[in-house]
Amino acid sequence: MIESLVRGDAVHRAAYVDPAVFALEQERIFRRAWLYVAHESEVPHPGDYVLARLGPDEVILVRREDGGLSLLHNRCAHRGARIVSAPSGNTRQLRCPYHAWTYRLDGSLIGVPLAEGYADPKSLSGLAAVPRVESYRGFVFASHSAQGEPLPQFLGGLKSAFDNLLDRTPAGSVTRFGGSLLLEYRGNWKMFMENAVDLVHPGFVHKSSVEAARAHPEALRSETVTQQGAQMFLANGLRATQWDEVPLHAFPGGHVYMGGFYRQGVIAPEREDPVFERYREALVARHGAEKANAVLAVDRFNNLVWPNVSINARFGAMRVVRPLAADHTVVEVVCFRLDGAPAEMHELTLQFVNLAASPASLVASDDLEIFERCQRGLASGTNEWIDMRRGALGDQHQADGSIVSRGTSELPIRHQFETWKRWLAQ
Amino acid sequence: MSEVEALLLREARLLDEQRYAEWLELFADDAVYWIPTRANQASPHEALSIIYEPRSLLAVRVERLARGEMHVQSPPSRTVHHVSGIEVAGEEARSSLIVAEWRAGDARWFAARVTHKLRREASGLRIVLKRVDLVDGEAPHRAIAVPL
Repeated sequence: MIESLVRGDAVHRAAYVDPAVFALEQERIFRRAWLYVAHESEVPHPGDYVLARLGPDEVILVRREDGGLSLLHNRCAHRGARIVSAPSGNTRQLRCPYHAWTYRLDGSLIGVPLAEGYADPKSLSGLAAVPRVESYRGFVFASHSAQGEPLPQFLGGLKSAFDNLLDRTPAGSVTRFGGSLLLEYRGNWKMFMENAVDLVHPGFVHKSSVEAARAHPEALRSETVTQQGAQMFLANGLRATQWDEVPLHAFPGGHVYMGGFYRQGVIAPEREDPVFERYREALVARHGAEKANAVLAVDRFNNLVWPNVSINARFGAMRVVRPLAADHTVVEVVCFRLDGAPAEMHELTLQFVNLAASPASLVASDDLEIFERCQRGLASGTNEWIDMRRGALGDQHQADGSIVSRGTSELPIRHQFETWKRWLAQ
Repeated sequence: MSEVEALLLREARLLDEQRYAEWLELFADDAVYWIPTRANQASPHEALSIIYEPRSLLAVRVERLARGEMHVQSPPSRTVHHVSGIEVAGEEARSSLIVAEWRAGDARWFAARVTHKLRREASGLRIVLKRVDLVDGEAPHRAIAVPL
């Protein structure tokens, strides 16, 4: 029984290593839950399409002539060939390269060659459409399941992360830009989501980048992008008592965010430099001073949408975790331009993400190494149970159903596994 | 062998022998080390990069490698940087690079077209830009710890 893998204080190692558990996750989470697909700014015009993943399947997000979105399986209804192979483009219709079955942008079949050879050509199928597709303020999510709660309810308390990202834009919208970074590791997908809000690991895992940056204080006096990088490395050098001051907040539905921990320089919420002043002025023009200040004061770092998305609104970055096997994961990192903000801000966004999140990052590379070590370790069966009790005594249940804790708590791991157990049990 | 060819081969050897501090000395004070994600990427502001580091940040990278306490280099990698097809035009050199890496039980390979922009300084020929265009820059990569 899957429920027996999660106790309040520990989780069985099978949750990370067992291919049968992975297959169950694929069926009961990744074929049911709302999953992030793409951003509407990637398909602004009729005929625009992008290839995307929805759980285990490849799908095509298409902007139709009527302005609506279709999400279609990238698989011809005839012999099953992939219809689209370019990652993005614009087209008037979708045509299979094999026998030229041709479809409208909503997936319906226009025609097939030699239709007269079919007794009832009208009975032939179009492209399979994903049953539920919804956009939350431009962020397109979809579910393989026709049933379930609507997207806003699913996002629950974590809607606030998208809202804050959009509030931070002078023009009221964001645009995806800069392509992607793709990281791969030989470990379970859940490790990434757990580690993103584990505030005890930086002091150990990221020690080498903290100390290397400390040995080069001249970087802090260099140009802005270099300063930003050095400050980002150094920020991981907080003491345990300081990490403990960073709040963790868990919402019903499995979502979690951690507070910010950047206090100085270009990366601090209260930046003072000419570029940021121009940005602040543009934001005040949209919101008025009081709301603009409140928007900028929202200081959160990673916001996790259960099961597999991490958003950092302050830095315009998002990570999508794609499970490939129990011991194999790819993480896609993408960026958003704050429409109406100075171009220099977008350059800082790209450079922040390069330095913090690329596979060659002095920070992320050590995280990837640790995930692979955990996976190797967990594959050996000397100890079946993984403890997750750290900080449990400090969990504070709120009236709205959310739970808050101090930064060094393992609350996020306990909370994610409670949610995981619920989805897998049904 | 030309001076430029000798520099590129020396650079490869310094990396293979993990002599990172000496490797860094090959770069001019205003140098940039760049691994873009996209073929034909014109600037680091156009798209994300796997690495885009001015020398001041490259120095932090080398410091970390030299300290030997980084998890992703425990144990360290063994590499062969194979440089060939060097073409020199003025102060620019283009070459083909294959890097074989062995670490912690896994072998892997990188393949790239590399552009070096060079400048003659009092101390000799130095690198102003090293640009590494991987054949699969936009593909998923496991942790990259050793400079290519």
